[in-house]
Amino acid sequence: MSAAPLALSGRLWLGLMLVFLYAPILVMAAMSLNASPFYQLPFEASTRWYAKLWTNREILAAAWRSVWIALAVAAIATLIGSMAAIALWRHAVPGRRLLQALLFPPIAVPWLITGTAMLVFFFGIGLDRGSPAVILGHVALALPYVIVVVTARLQGFDPTLEEAARSLGARPLTVTLRITLPFLAPGIVAAALFAFAVSFDQFVVSYFLARPGDTTLPVLIYTAIRKGFTPEINAISTIVILVSMVLMLLVARLARFGGER
Amino acid sequence: MADRGERAATGRALAMLAPAYLWLLFAVFLPLAAMAWFSLLSDLPLRGREWHLTLANYRAFLDSPAYPALLWKSLRIAAVVTLLCLVAGFPCALVLARVIRGRSREALLLLVILPFWSNALVRVFSWTILLRPGGVLDAALSAVLPGEVRLGLAFTETAVVIGLVHSYVPYVILTAYLALQAIDQSLIEAARALGAGRLRILRRILLPLALPGLIAGAVLVFVPVAGSFMEPRLLGGRMGTTFGTVIEDQFVAVFNWPLGAALSFILLAVVLGILAAASPALRRSLG
Amino acid sequence: MSGVSVSGLVKAWGPVRALDGLTLDFPEGSFFGLLGPSGSGKTTLLRAIAGFVTPDAGTVRIGGQSVDGVPVERREIGMVFQSYALFPHMTVAGNLSFGLEVRRVPARERARRIDEALALVRLEGFGGRRPAELSGGQRQRVAMARAIVTRPRVLLLDEPLSALDRGLRTEMQIELRRIQREVGITAIFVTHDQEEALTLSDRIGILREGRLVREGPPRAVWDDPGDAFTARFLGAANLFTGTPEPGGLRLASGALLAGPPGRTTGCLAVRPEAMALSPVEPGAPNALPGRIAALVFAGATVTALVEAAGQQARVTGAPSAFEGLAEGQPVWLAWPPGRAAWVAPDRPGVATGK
Ligand SMILES: Nc1ncnc2c1ncn2[C@@H]1O[C@H](COP(=O)(O)OP(=O)(O)OP(=O)(O)O)[C@@H](O)[C@H]1O
Ligand SMILES: [Mg+2]
Repeated sequence: MSAAPLALSGRLWLGLMLVFLYAPILVMAAMSLNASPFYQLPFEASTRWYAKLWTNREILAAAWRSVWIALAVAAIATLIGSMAAIALWRHAVPGRRLLQALLFPPIAVPWLITGTAMLVFFFGIGLDRGSPAVILGHVALALPYVIVVVTARLQGFDPTLEEAARSLGARPLTVTLRITLPFLAPGIVAAALFAFAVSFDQFVVSYFLARPGDTTLPVLIYTAIRKGFTPEINAISTIVILVSMVLMLLVARLARFGGER
Repeated sequence: MADRGERAATGRALAMLAPAYLWLLFAVFLPLAAMAWFSLLSDLPLRGREWHLTLANYRAFLDSPAYPALLWKSLRIAAVVTLLCLVAGFPCALVLARVIRGRSREALLLLVILPFWSNALVRVFSWTILLRPGGVLDAALSAVLPGEVRLGLAFTETAVVIGLVHSYVPYVILTAYLALQAIDQSLIEAARALGAGRLRILRRILLPLALPGLIAGAVLVFVPVAGSFMEPRLLGGRMGTTFGTVIEDQFVAVFNWPLGAALSFILLAVVLGILAAASPALRRSLG
Repeated sequence: MSGVSVSGLVKAWGPVRALDGLTLDFPEGSFFGLLGPSGSGKTTLLRAIAGFVTPDAGTVRIGGQSVDGVPVERREIGMVFQSYALFPHMTVAGNLSFGLEVRRVPARERARRIDEALALVRLEGFGGRRPAELSGGQRQRVAMARAIVTRPRVLLLDEPLSALDRGLRTEMQIELRRIQREVGITAIFVTHDQEEALTLSDRIGILREGRLVREGPPRAVWDDPGDAFTARFLGAANLFTGTPEPGGLRLASGALLAGPPGRTTGCLAVRPEAMALSPVEPGAPNALPGRIAALVFAGATVTALVEAAGQQARVTGAPSAFEGLAEGQPVWLAWPPGRAAWVAPDRPGVATGK
């Protein structure tokens, strides 16, 4: 068998897969710009659904809530996750393997189960559904990703840099602030964006933890679709997916910079 | 040996670890424990309600023919989706890892992974636009083919499977790619020097060496798909009742939390069993 | 500037005793070379002086004062690392400035001292570069400048030159010594390269399994290694064992080897370059009959492995000294008695030269 046909059919298959992955999203984006509310063709370009978004109080409120929840989640998860990553990397902590293994359940257990379990537990301790519960849950989901991303960056960090700084008279806190953190910065920014995206895109856990009535954007979209939908959903969905793709593109760029040194 | 310096350092490390792990304890591990407790209750422990410990919720699963059937359906869909993801994803990974070189490889890999990291709900939603009766897909096919084409895919199990494959195939591509790309080129060259053809190299070298990656990918697809409820709801319509949607119902519609908790635990047990069975392969490919 | 002394240092990691009761003085202003086989505790000793390692027992003194319990950052040391450990996100000037900033040196004074240090290592005008934009030798100089710009009391160097290639290494050795002399700082220097240690150091110390086996000026240690381990470790000396007699060492074969006068022990060490080969019996003392097992050519020198007196001896010399000799040939091995040294037989112990 010669190389060319095999490689060519492989490339073709990859191309088809990309079409499969992107076609629905592109169609949705196109339809959000179609004047007809019922996806009727011929296509007639219009931005009316985007304009209508601005007048939809409910969607705007949910979008705003999603953004600030994601910001809070990114801030908390990045702070405590980076600390944990640095501690795991710097010290021969007893039980380190177990601690690393404990990061998997939040990722590996289906969100349906995690989400309902959080609902049950938070209810049990008297924490009602609502944004604090959502933040609590999202941070837990984002933490493993933050720790993994920061740890990856740390792999490229030469620990003698910290020793050099101390030999020059810097206290441990100064070493962390002036040597370790600047080196980690791209990884930490990537982790923060990642955490933001995890929260911003999270549907399942929010679905169980958000208070009906003032929900996050994905939950609102879900209920709207199930109610029989309005064309604005196309528009807001297009915006949401654009935001999350741009975020992840940034993460990918920064994470690659992490591999440089 | 008493070493003050080192002990102080360990203390600092534990202080830095505490917030993250306490958070995980509070938001993941205690909830899972609470769920186990709830699954043994006869009713919600609300004011004014009677409750006691019972295994009735687990018995309800066994007594009703519907629950095991739905669990089986969920597992079957998960298996089909996993298989399709492997079949569709492996060639892509192969092409990315061993045919395409240089900058375009990175760009393409990113392009494949990007949807995966973006909003899952919206992507499923986009399929409803494509598949709805008289929707974009029907219209496009009618324009190309003679006559009115009605695929009739909307609200079928097929639609659910398509949507789930769309959601999860990037995972397999990524894990298989990582495994394939780690294979030393000199192994391939050695095999070729020994006279092996391309298909034989694929079958005897690439496939076996990429197997841990494929298994990891398969597990990472199977587990969440077995617990999916949003995709079946949106794409399956009335055909979309799965074990996941039944659990969802217990929490948001029927408010039978103890039963929901028991069903969740049964699902978790099945999933953990599968994870445990695959863990050697997982450890090899992720560790 | 101050001397350093350690006494009774012990550091164990599990069963491994990296430092095993080590006592050693590093005189003020001296350049001290530490040598020893891999794993003998050189790095551990350096890190214990720096404060990165807390000894299980023993005391480290800098300038006569104990620094036990003093954290690294307050010991006023300068360190040069094998990998240089230059901060990649700072410029050369930023690297030098760091230690001054944490000491709150005013900006004007900082700039002056940075310029001074850069001039000392001959890198004027490089302040704005990043470490990634420097050659290996330049990085080495920056690492030196960064370590001394804070005017530390001691300079600790752990194999600072081993990342450089041969030519650059020789050049940097000379630089290193010049800088240390100009600053007048006490320097403790770990190296794997015995030639480097012998060339550069005012004094050398040889470690083995966490203990000091020999210490003194390079010349003294070389001429009088003290024990068999040091003799073998430094310059791969040939060792002859036998029974000491007033006139020398009586070998098992019955031959009598003449040794230098003075202390006599069971071992006589003779350096390969002190020995000569001749095809006929030389009319001199210390002549042993043998046979050439192998001739090894190494450019400037040739080494012959000679079977003599039931053991293998190494003889090194200029290629011309081996002309006309072939492998398998019977030869006579000889050396002047003054070039042999009495050494203690194998047994770790401590000896101090003057
Ligand atoms: N952090 C540590 N944990 C456990 N053992 C250690 C540690 N550091 C050093 N050791 C052990 O202590 C002994 C001495 O090590 P050290 O690094 O001081 O040797 P060295 O003389 O510098 O060797 P080399 O010439 O190879 O650099 C070795 O057996 C080493 O394995
Ligand atoms: Mg060392």
